[in-house]
Amino acid sequence: MRKAGQSALVLWAAFTAAYVLLQLLPGDAILIKFQNPELGLSPEQIAQIREYYGTEGPAAYLHTLLGFLRGDFGYSIDTGTPVVERLAEALPETAKLAGLGFALAVVLAVAIAFASGHRLLAWLREVPSLFVAVPVFWVGILLIQLFSFRLKLVPVIGGTEAQQLILPVLTLAVPICAPIAQVLARGIDQVSTQPFVQVVAAKGASRRWILWRHVARNAMLPTLTMAGLTFGELIAGSVITETVFGRNGVGRLTEQAVSAQDTPVLLAVVVLAATVFVLVNLIVDLLFPILDPRLR
Amino acid sequence: MATRVTAAVLLAVTGLLAGCGGTTEPTAKVAAAGEPVVGGTLTYLEHQPPTCLYLPAAGFYPNGGLLNQLTDKLTWQNPKTLEIEPWIATKWEINKDATEYTFHLRDGVTFSDGSPLDASAVAANFDVYGKGSTELKLPPAEFVNNYESSEVVDPKTVTFHFDKPSPGFLQGTSVIGAGLVSKKTIGLPYEQQCQLKNVIGSGPFTVADQIVDKEIDLKARKDYNWAPPSSKHQGRAYLDEIKIIVTPEDNVRVGALTSGQADFVRYVQAYDEQTVKGAGFTLYAEPTRGVNNGLYLRPSNSILSDIKVRRALQKGTDVKEVVDTLFTPSYPAATSVLSHLAQGYVDLSKELVFDPEGAGALLDEAGWKRGADGIREKDGAKLQLGVFVSLPQPLSKQTLELVAQQWAKLGVKLEVRPGDAGTLAVDIKNAEKTAVSHSMVGRADQDVIKSQFHSKNRDVILSKDGKLDQLLEEESALAVPAERNAKVAEIQRYLVKQGYAIPLFEEPQVYGGAPNVHGVAFEAVGRPSFYSVWKS
Repeated sequence: MRKAGQSALVLWAAFTAAYVLLQLLPGDAILIKFQNPELGLSPEQIAQIREYYGTEGPAAYLHTLLGFLRGDFGYSIDTGTPVVERLAEALPETAKLAGLGFALAVVLAVAIAFASGHRLLAWLREVPSLFVAVPVFWVGILLIQLFSFRLKLVPVIGGTEAQQLILPVLTLAVPICAPIAQVLARGIDQVSTQPFVQVVAAKGASRRWILWRHVARNAMLPTLTMAGLTFGELIAGSVITETVFGRNGVGRLTEQAVSAQDTPVLLAVVVLAATVFVLVNLIVDLLFPILDPRLR
Repeated sequence: MATRVTAAVLLAVTGLLAGCGGTTEPTAKVAAAGEPVVGGTLTYLEHQPPTCLYLPAAGFYPNGGLLNQLTDKLTWQNPKTLEIEPWIATKWEINKDATEYTFHLRDGVTFSDGSPLDASAVAANFDVYGKGSTELKLPPAEFVNNYESSEVVDPKTVTFHFDKPSPGFLQGTSVIGAGLVSKKTIGLPYEQQCQLKNVIGSGPFTVADQIVDKEIDLKARKDYNWAPPSSKHQGRAYLDEIKIIVTPEDNVRVGALTSGQADFVRYVQAYDEQTVKGAGFTLYAEPTRGVNNGLYLRPSNSILSDIKVRRALQKGTDVKEVVDTLFTPSYPAATSVLSHLAQGYVDLSKELVFDPEGAGALLDEAGWKRGADGIREKDGAKLQLGVFVSLPQPLSKQTLELVAQQWAKLGVKLEVRPGDAGTLAVDIKNAEKTAVSHSMVGRADQDVIKSQFHSKNRDVILSKDGKLDQLLEEESALAVPAERNAKVAEIQRYLVKQGYAIPLFEEPQVYGGAPNVHGVAFEAVGRPSFYSVWKS
């Protein structure tokens, strides 16, 4: 119950902060759309349009907030379509991309962390630092150039749904897997030096048993927190990935809304992102006691 | 009240979009590759998704590239001669003072919903394009002036009446925004007409499928049989299908083309041209025949109010360096305010010679002295001017930064600001903050110069110059083409003499095509027509 209250507070704060910040930006969607010098509209006419859209003052804030509470996100000023409609189109696309990207990132991270524990593969330790350093944009372009344009393994134009997902998912997984791998590898190192590991080893447990049963389980806790935190990265990454690959989705929608300062769309995106963030953290919190009996 | 405001706004929006470009239709590029083959799919990569598809707003290139395949026009402007030729109208009569136009229509033309393209449909279209509709929130179109009414004489004859001479109307019936749509479409409110699914035309292709902002699939109309009479190709389009795919990333478009995943792409950047040509692909650099890409100096800015300063900046800008460093031969250096292919063009290259010494002398004369940091000063104020990066213009940022370097040598600081939409919207009409505008307009008509400079149109220089407005109005009211051209020449001279314009280059629309794609045609301002395209 307290958790739910906190979550509601976080959502309200995200909404309000976004609302205030958007108001503080120079210009607004109406100005951008209508006060183009090429239109020749007078400031009075613009003021009338603004009144028509009802986008100013504390009353507008309350109106928008109440709308959100009812699930009515209003209309995109840029396109005139209901925001809900635009989100409904974009969300499944991004969910697919982000979900698969995250899953692949976890697989990669675990593989890197464990493999780098081996003497011969210790160089893998450096890989996450590299992955963190390269921009998503560049990774996407590189993958397209290599796998699609040179090796012609997978098309970026046309192709099946699965073909269209391969490279974007890989692009997104690269920066996400890096911090997870780093934290997991460090966790494994730390846990391995703890006395209880020596005790277990002294009792005759095999290396593999120790690693999976004891070390990994303990190293998993900070990793899980980190995985939850990468959610922000996931959203940022999908904006770029969707633009590079020309995919529809929340990322591309956000990018378009930002350039048009389309407040209703941006508010909806912020609230949506905050909601998912809250949920992800809730899930992480709930998973902790399952993994660690001490927290029960 | 609200409706009235909205209508006014929409009117203005359309003015903007239609002004982005403006005219005509296809002539097939000669492709020496044997007999045309019927069938196949053309994959066309667009740079941006289309916006509102209400016909008068079709000037925006992503819109035009789509609507050009879906609609036909009353007349066809030959992009080579710029003459107006028959299309849906087989012939026409115009009275002496250009206040009455009668068009005789072709027989048997239908829209893709089966309804006839007859006199009443044409009248319904032009009633909206000419006057707009407050009720449906439809703005009138920029290319129709002084429209009064239509009169359906018989099912194949329609007469238009104007309350004042409207010499530009005949050409106006050929522009991209004058595409004819079914009565059902033209009767819809603005928001509905904006949507692709509601656009019912009589063109060689129809919409088969659409994923908003991502992909549009067109298919050929098998019963299409009314191409412009001067087209060699008659009957249905050769292609079966066109897939228009929005691909915002420049090097993905070019890479997809050269790796065989796409057949045709729009917006090849100057630095990618060699990649396209080097791979044996075809580069199409189509002229836009209007006001050149250039820097437009605002006399209402307190520093630029001095003609000496404006002339100094004009002399001190090395256009050749800009074109040679950043661009390719597809971007010819400007020799006047207008493109050399524009109507009424006059060669002013002698007036536009790079002369840094002359520029320095003028600035000295104007009282601007070099300060300790190399930037000129006068009465404690620095010679500093602001300009926004113009997103629609190719390599605008790089162009402006190079010009800023050139001006720095003169002792002038040009502050190049990134064009985030909000700040731009707030500051663009403020001559103190935005002293210089980087822009162009494409349109194959003398009126293009009025669009760019008149204080009631785009007003890029915020001139408040009564004489300039008067010259522009005189130009648009002249019925005799030769007189109109002479007036356009006078205006170009005036703009250069006043130091209002620093023309840079003639901005093209650059496309790339696969070697097996033949018959691509372009209307007068560079929008593609795929009617006669075939793949070998």
